[in-house]
Amino acid sequence: MGSVRKFDSKPKINGSWKFLDDYQSEDMIYGNIIYSKCHHGIIKDIHFPNDFNISEFTFVYAKDIPGENIVPEPVSDQLFLAVNEVFHYGQPIIGVAHPNKVTLTNFIKKIKIDYEELPAIIDIKECLDNEKNHFGREITIDHRTRDEIQNSWIRHHNVYYMPHQEQAYLEPQGVIAEYDKQDGIIFVRITAQCPYYVKSGVESMMGSAVNDVVIETSEGIGGAFGGKEDFPSLLAGICSLLSYKSGKPVKIVLDREDDIKITTKRHPARIEIESYTDPATKKIEKIDIDYRLDAGAYQTLSPVVLARGVLHTAGGYGFPDSFIRGRLFRSNTPPNGAFRGFGAPQGFAAMEAHIDGIAAEMDITTIELRKANIFNNGDEFPTTQKVTEENLIDCFNKVLEISDYQKKLKSYAQWNKNHKDKKGIGVSLGFHGGGFTGNGEKTLNSEIKVVLEKNAEVKIFVANTDMGQGAHTTLAQMFCEAIDHPFEKTKVQLPNTSKTPNSGPTVASRTIYIIGNLLKQLALELKKKYKFDKLESYIIEHNSEFPLELRKNYIQPTSVFFDEESYRGIAYKDYSWAACVNEIYFHADTYQIELIESWNVLDIGRVVNEQIALGQAEGGILQGLAYGLSEFFYKPGFGRMSGFTDYTLPTTLDIPKIVIEFIHTDSVTAKGLGEIPMDFPAPALRNAFLNATGIIIDEYPLTPEVIYKTIKEQK
Amino acid sequence: MKIRFTLNGKNVVLESAPLKRLLDILREDYHLFGTKESCGEGECGACTVLLDGKPVTSCLVNAIHVNGKKVDTVEGLSKTKLGKMLIDCFDETNAVQCGFCFPGFFVSTYYYLLNDGDNDLEKIKKALSGNICRCTGYQRIFDSVKIACARKKVGE
Repeated sequence: MGSVRKFDSKPKINGSWKFLDDYQSEDMIYGNIIYSKCHHGIIKDIHFPNDFNISEFTFVYAKDIPGENIVPEPVSDQLFLAVNEVFHYGQPIIGVAHPNKVTLTNFIKKIKIDYEELPAIIDIKECLDNEKNHFGREITIDHRTRDEIQNSWIRHHNVYYMPHQEQAYLEPQGVIAEYDKQDGIIFVRITAQCPYYVKSGVESMMGSAVNDVVIETSEGIGGAFGGKEDFPSLLAGICSLLSYKSGKPVKIVLDREDDIKITTKRHPARIEIESYTDPATKKIEKIDIDYRLDAGAYQTLSPVVLARGVLHTAGGYGFPDSFIRGRLFRSNTPPNGAFRGFGAPQGFAAMEAHIDGIAAEMDITTIELRKANIFNNGDEFPTTQKVTEENLIDCFNKVLEISDYQKKLKSYAQWNKNHKDKKGIGVSLGFHGGGFTGNGEKTLNSEIKVVLEKNAEVKIFVANTDMGQGAHTTLAQMFCEAIDHPFEKTKVQLPNTSKTPNSGPTVASRTIYIIGNLLKQLALELKKKYKFDKLESYIIEHNSEFPLELRKNYIQPTSVFFDEESYRGIAYKDYSWAACVNEIYFHADTYQIELIESWNVLDIGRVVNEQIALGQAEGGILQGLAYGLSEFFYKPGFGRMSGFTDYTLPTTLDIPKIVIEFIHTDSVTAKGLGEIPMDFPAPALRNAFLNATGIIIDEYPLTPEVIYKTIKEQK
Repeated sequence: MKIRFTLNGKNVVLESAPLKRLLDILREDYHLFGTKESCGEGECGACTVLLDGKPVTSCLVNAIHVNGKKVDTVEGLSKTKLGKMLIDCFDETNAVQCGFCFPGFFVSTYYYLLNDGDNDLEKIKKALSGNICRCTGYQRIFDSVKIACARKKVGE
């Protein structure tokens, strides 16, 4: 059963699978958001165009909110609708709806808002270089064990900058809200990752004005990558209020320009690393990391991203002495949020570059240095969590072998002597902790429900969404495989908060790792209890006992304990590991890096569905490569991106050959897969450029402009 | 204005604003929701259809340009023999993830196959360079197209 086909492939290809904008209803009207085009200011006046019949429009302002004007999760500091002051470009001010989509668009274009402008920070470096911009959460991991720095140790110190990255899910954000006046219920259909987050958002907005809120996802969720984790709550709140006020179903679908300009992005980061290495042993004896994230105007999800960030940024190395300080910084840009990797890609982009920097400074190979420091069984994370396996070493050795690294390293060095263009090869390592950080899974206490029907059909009820990652196919597969039940007779239901229990958000590489394994356990318990060989035959024989409803909650093992104060303990029970080798060709005349081949070895434990897993890994790796090579959202003098014309995504012509190998697939546990492919490829690309040219670049992405600027400055 | 065109093999007449986008005509007037809007500026290819047999991004085509022409969408093409074979190829290789871009990829590939596309990787890449997929790394899509080329040849 290893490669069961996805049940939704064919309807997606022939266009019959329903995405948010494909849902229609008779009296539905269209909504949108009027948002701030000022970075920071006081709203002085709003001018509506006078060539429209204003009475045809429905407007909602902050004052119309019956409940709280605060998006509740995870940190409640973001407003649904601005009151008098706007704190970032893209901040929603008014919700508006009209029966005609074209009229609505034309109307919004003509609205003018006057602001009294206030000082604003919109540049990444201006935000992150200035300590005064720190706000909100700060985390320290103090694992200092040495008092003295020995004279022979070699100090290496550098600052690395990582840009915004846009999730660029192909289906834009969208929602339909329908207020049923009779029952006082708001029904929301949405393209989102976390139906229960949306529920709590709408409940907060509507307060006691409604009796109940039900959230159901659209059949298709056209990509998300974290981008549909928290922003949908804001959008659903505003849309619900429009429906409540107008009495009609309201649909909001953002157009691409608005979607890019106002939704969450990956956090820009500034990471400063100071290290001391013993030249005799090549062991990095001491490391100090200052990890800063530009949160945007509000904290929202950022404290959680910061937590994962500081827990990953030291990389897969056993440092005997480490100190990590993580902080959030405020700017006047839209709040940054979740994006596949969640703080880890920034951390590895800096640390893996730093490792190559140390090697260059000490004139030793990056392989020697990594081998001297890579996680061995018994090493400790900065949290003091013990490393209990050597799977990262296995990934590393394997990727060097399959990429033929040593041979290429030598031959490229030779080739480079006689050519203006350069060839290069670079490595990087990465890991990703599965599930929520620390005690998060304990708090979530995820619940799943399974209904066994009289005809032996198995219906799985979980709140986890399938946004293209194939989760619903793989979840069904895990239940079936455990007890040898036919896959065709098993179906994951569409997430709906009135039907599916809260099995937690679809984030943190937790869907298969936590929910899938829980389904598997439930299936095995069922088999043990009823002592059947085949579930189907048992149901036929005992038909009167069915339909049967079963529920199960995730219980975090008692061995997992994390101290949120000291940041010590077990941050994640299981880690996925990875190693990468990237090969590049540098065009000296155009300052362009061409990707030639990307080699990736991953340990994600048991691979449930190899085809789906390979597809996931491939897509994540390409996003990671683009993070290192081409994607950024804002540049001084250039402004912010507004569409796919300026925010350039990799096309079929831009991609290298991607080789992927999974190891340790005979493990019992299926570990996290969703995020790790994004975490590690970017620095291997940067290191390949260093290998090719000898030029150190500490700013991502390595665009021709950045390379040109660096070369010019060095001259 | 009144426009007449052939939609998935049927002659149709429509009263439309001259600048209405073909994408909106398909979705709003004919409820053909397979053609998707993603970027709205001709970059991503999610709204690709065939106009007089050639692939176009329907977000950049206005009603006035459709008059008297032949439009084929994913709904029509997927029901043909070639279309069904192609769907099987995409399915077998797990080429599809979120699927939002896929009707566009389907139409571009259909055109490539119909116009003697072969399994040369560079040609396939070029043929699909107007379609963006954010979920996959494209490799499985290339694999599907190669398989489809081989099967089409056998079928001929």
